[in-house]
Amino acid sequence: MIEYILLIPLIIAALCYPLRRRALVEAVAVAGSAVTLIASLSISYEVFTTGTLDEGLLYMDALSAYVLLLVSLVGLLACFYSISYLRRELEEGEITELKLRNYYIFFQLFVFTMLLVTVSNNLGIMWIAIEGTTLASAYLVGLYDRDTSIEAAWKYLVICSVGITLALLGTIIVYASSIQVLGEESNALNWSTLQANASALDPGLLKISFIFILVGYGTKVGLSPMHTWLPDAHSQAPTPVSALLSGVLLNCAMYGILRFHMIVSGSSLGAGFSGGLLLLFGIISVATAGAFIIMAKDYKRMLAYSSIEHMGIIAIGFGFGGFWGIFGALFHMLNHALAKTLLFFGAGKVLQRFHTKDIDKVHGLIKVLPVTGALLLGGGLAITGCPPFSLFLSEFMIMVGGLSSQNYLGTILYIVLLIIVFAAFLKHIGGMVFGEPLLEERPSKERRGTDVVMMAVLLIAILALGLYVPEFLNEVLDQVYRLFVPGGGA
Amino acid sequence: MIVEVLQTILLVAIAPLITGIIRKVKAYLQSRTGPSILQPYRDLRKLFSKGSVVSKDASWVFTITPYVCLSAIMVAALLVPVIYARTFGFVGDLIVLIYLLSMMRFFMALAALDTGSAFGGMGSSREMYISSIVEPTMLLSIFAMALVAGTTSLGNIADGIATNGWDLVAPTLLLAAAAFFIATLAENARVPFDNPATHLELTMIHEAMLLEYSGKQLALMEISSMTKLIIFLAILSNVFFPWGIATDLTVLSLTGGLLAFLVKVLVLAVTIAVIESATAKMRLFRLPNILTVAFILSLLAVMSFYILGAT
Amino acid sequence: MAFSTTTIIDGLAAAILLTTFIAIASNRMFSLVRLFALQSVALGLLAMSVASITGAGHIYAVAVLTIGIKGVVIPWMLLYVMDKIRTTKEVEPLVSIPLSLLLCGVLTAVAFYITEPIIFTSGTITTITKNCLAISLAVVLIGFYTMIARKKAVTQIMGLLTMENGLFLAAISVTYGMPMIVELGIFFDILVAVLIMGMFAFRINKTFDSVDTTILRRLHD
Repeated sequence: MIEYILLIPLIIAALCYPLRRRALVEAVAVAGSAVTLIASLSISYEVFTTGTLDEGLLYMDALSAYVLLLVSLVGLLACFYSISYLRRELEEGEITELKLRNYYIFFQLFVFTMLLVTVSNNLGIMWIAIEGTTLASAYLVGLYDRDTSIEAAWKYLVICSVGITLALLGTIIVYASSIQVLGEESNALNWSTLQANASALDPGLLKISFIFILVGYGTKVGLSPMHTWLPDAHSQAPTPVSALLSGVLLNCAMYGILRFHMIVSGSSLGAGFSGGLLLLFGIISVATAGAFIIMAKDYKRMLAYSSIEHMGIIAIGFGFGGFWGIFGALFHMLNHALAKTLLFFGAGKVLQRFHTKDIDKVHGLIKVLPVTGALLLGGGLAITGCPPFSLFLSEFMIMVGGLSSQNYLGTILYIVLLIIVFAAFLKHIGGMVFGEPLLEERPSKERRGTDVVMMAVLLIAILALGLYVPEFLNEVLDQVYRLFVPGGGA
Repeated sequence: MIVEVLQTILLVAIAPLITGIIRKVKAYLQSRTGPSILQPYRDLRKLFSKGSVVSKDASWVFTITPYVCLSAIMVAALLVPVIYARTFGFVGDLIVLIYLLSMMRFFMALAALDTGSAFGGMGSSREMYISSIVEPTMLLSIFAMALVAGTTSLGNIADGIATNGWDLVAPTLLLAAAAFFIATLAENARVPFDNPATHLELTMIHEAMLLEYSGKQLALMEISSMTKLIIFLAILSNVFFPWGIATDLTVLSLTGGLLAFLVKVLVLAVTIAVIESATAKMRLFRLPNILTVAFILSLLAVMSFYILGAT
Repeated sequence: MAFSTTTIIDGLAAAILLTTFIAIASNRMFSLVRLFALQSVALGLLAMSVASITGAGHIYAVAVLTIGIKGVVIPWMLLYVMDKIRTTKEVEPLVSIPLSLLLCGVLTAVAFYITEPIIFTSGTITTITKNCLAISLAVVLIGFYTMIARKKAVTQIMGLLTMENGLFLAAISVTYGMPMIVELGIFFDILVAVLIMGMFAFRINKTFDSVDTTILRRLHD
């Protein structure tokens, strides 16, 4: 059953390959993404209502379903946005028709690899899938012919591959500890089995393995100090790809770390060791991101650093642990995905209008592109954690988690760093939205199409979630939370 | 006791022969007939009958160096197992050996500086440059073998390894032997480190230090160099690959040991000649590259003993 | 002078470490590729020895794959890329070769230090090849160092491949190899990764007329 979800993007990619007409490719791709979303919804509904789905190599529990939904949702939004964005790029001569078709093929392949990450039970297959995401998205990151694109794509490939290789070492060591207990069973590398037998696993090996996993997959998540590829890749990629990368790929990589975190927490080491490391890397990430956001000159890079910051926040949330910490972090995964997608969509429109990524050259959005400017301002407020948006809610929950786990130093650092980022980010966004537009801007009508509608929907969503968390979401997050409590898994 | 003395005499006596063989093989490989293999003996005899010219700026260091070198190398020859796996071990072990060689080099370098000629100073500095990396390499590689055998007396190392077989040692031994072989080439002024037949300012290292010597002193220095070469070859054959060496005093095992020694040294000599003909002398500042490789090999030999052996 | 199989395994592991070091010391690109091929063959032979001792059949297949893909196909692909790029034949190191060698010696000591508790004190790993764990970690660290300390794009790919070799050795030394499907997937991954990285190296060359990665400096804060 689960494999059907995986097959959909593959089939779509295969279907796109022989097509030549642009409109047809776009239609097939978007239809495919829509079908993927519908399938994810149905299968996730099944998981949330009836419990985990165990199909041997493929396995879905509440966490898998949650991340799966995120991937499919953002995938559909980004695919839809790609249509108008890439059409414009084609008109401006930035890409060719052939590249456009290849873009959609690799897009679907990229989504396939991310879906595979969320549903695979075997840690080795999960590793292959995560490495697969790097390989599939490399083409997308380096889509343009610019020298900066190639540089970004090369750094992305090399740094992420190195990180993932280290993660493989961690996986091997976990396997070693597993076969001690289980023998060379075929399910010895399945995380579900490992989680069930976590208390019997050797703590020394688990420690070493988790360190490698955290550094390795953490490279993919964008935790400092392994984040150096992220600003380049996210800023040089075409905007819908940036949304995918920031919104969901980072979450998928975090998912990988979380599976190991749950195994280690269930062992005799307890949640303290892995949680502590997550907290440490989280704080370093938020601090680094804050420093670079202050100095930001390129707004897409600034958004990329903001992603690093939010991944740091999520890591801090899981590091604090406890009900509020974990619940807040999970909620934040959703909020950040929505808000970052909104911001990148807005940035894409700004880029196509102003043709510059320089913050200093963009002013007076509210006059030139009024709706986009307003939505961008809203998104900026949201992403820095302003109430009443939902990001404020999830960040607040994480703070409560910190206090309730008596990690006062961590909580204080967390609050201070968030305030710093808040100020810096809003200064930049404010500078872009308000003020007088530079004189050489040709006045032209703002294109208000489906993109703006999507952005508005996203903004309303994060506003609504901030005011009222619907019952089903609460229930879903609660189910996922219970997976983290040893012995309380669904 | 007698056997040890005899084997030292044998070592010294054969030394010029080995040098002659290396020259002959090189000549063959270069399609020449080359000098006879007994030529070094004749050269030495010629040198002994000539008078020596000494620079008026030279001091006592210059005069005593040939004697110091000769005595150092003779004592070193006492320490090396040739036919029988026992030496005058009470005199010293491998550490003493290394220090004797160092003393020899030290005095040679000083003597070269002593005469005040530019060539001498240049030779000394180049020699020290190379030896700064070669000495640790030599030390470490023999130490690796000492670790395996559990003793630092060369004779006992040979004995220990000969009786115990491959199992203990294979990676350590191969790595250490490779490192020591490169050190042999470097210490004895062989291509690719130094050309033993050149007298060009650009290329000579060892020869530069001998340049001012003539007559009897030159003969003594030449004997020292040749004996040094055969000592290294003897160490290579009997400490690193000691199978065949006599471990007891029966006539059968002694003849077996003699034959094994001769065969091994011959093989090594031919190998050196082949390497000398096949490679070019490397530029001076590229030498640290290959020397560091040798150093790392010896370091790996020691480490691999711990990593792979000491369970 | 009996050759026990542990000696063969230890000898091959030492050979793998040796090729890694010689790769650091070599100055020419072709030798790097050939040394990598040699290393992969040694690795495959080691896997086969393990398979013959333990009787685990699937390791034979993996060993053959290693020799085939990593020993033949990938070196061929790398040589093809290098030929197409028409780059200069030297490895351009950022750090001089003697210093690199010494640093890698230190890295090997570090690797040994890290893995010592696992191998010697905790009796948790019981394979016959547990001594190879230190060597595998050393190879991984040296491969990582190669990626940092060399300028050319192709040498960075080779550094990554060396790291993967080290990991495979680690897998054999602690677990007698991962499940078959995982191993196959990893091979496929590596192959595709080399392919894609080769294509990108080619693109770098086309855009910048050189594969010196130190000129990739336009993106910074």
